Amino acid sequence: MNAEAETGWPEAAVDYVQAIADTKLLLGQRYGEWMLKGPHLEDNISGASNAQDEIGQVRQLFRLLKQQGVDEEWLESERAPEEYANAPTLDEEAENWPTFVVQAALTDRTAWLLLDAIDHDDFTGMVQKMGEDEYFHLEHQDGRLETLAESQPDAVEAALERYFPQILTFIGPATYDQASDPLVNAGFTDRSVADIRGALHEHYVELFASTDVSVPPLDGDVPDPDQWDAKRRRTDDGHVEASVVDQLQGVSNKEYVIE
Amino acid sequence: MKYHVFTRVNAGDDLIHAGTVQADSDRLARIYAYRTYDEEDWEFIGVVREENLLEVKTEAIAGGYPQ
Repeated sequence: MNAEAETGWPEAAVDYVQAIADTKLLLGQRYGEWMLKGPHLEDNISGASNAQDEIGQVRQLFRLLKQQGVDEEWLESERAPEEYANAPTLDEEAENWPTFVVQAALTDRTAWLLLDAIDHDDFTGMVQKMGEDEYFHLEHQDGRLETLAESQPDAVEAALERYFPQILTFIGPATYDQASDPLVNAGFTDRSVADIRGALHEHYVELFASTDVSVPPLDGDVPDPDQWDAKRRRTDDGHVEASVVDQLQGVSNKEYVIE
Repeated sequence: MKYHVFTRVNAGDDLIHAGTVQADSDRLARIYAYRTYDEEDWEFIGVVREENLLEVKTEAIAGGYPQ
């Protein structure tokens, strides 16, 4: 058992879990937006299931964050768009199907890698259950990427070039290796940011190995560690649109809330 | 491609035909079948490409005649 389990997590761990939870919240939103627009009814059904899984996982992660002292009202309904720590890949809705699949695939796999790296009793069991959900998300996406790499390689490659630097930025600086990653040193995670970056890159290099799609290089300079904000896991002040936050917070239907 | 989905609730039971899914690969067909027909606690769920189903025909045999 980790020594922090009863006394609270390290402050950086709260930010880390907040970023995972917000990313899953936005993943649920993006899956929801696409669940009636996929090329097959089967894609829509899978997308709807993925959305439901993500929102369910967010409930659990928010519960843990509240236990760590994060204010419930702020978490659920009082945040401004720039206070969400979601992966920047999800700031905007993708404009077409191949772009959406790349957007969701890179982001969902990254969120899983970050979550799976947590080595803390508060997450034992819960992460295993989430992993059972994620198997279907990631298999769906990889299966889709395989077929899209054959039919629309240019679109897939363009989306990879757009999203890969963003997702590397979200994971964190390459300088956070096993010896220097603060959360590894704190005993909260057992896999460094540098390792997770490598794992993500290697996965897609292998997935596209026999196709015409090239995966962008694993650029060690992205993100610049001096510019990186560990709280929002970004180097800029980008954020999701206010209209999306209104949907996430239920602003437009507040009058129907059951008290 | 069209895939047929077969399931059973208990080990040893006969498989039942749950329905079909459309998929571009075997990998996707497995996911679609699970996501689409996951309303029961199946002991087994599997997919078969429609093209792999063997049609059973009544044919003329020596000494006999077609049905």
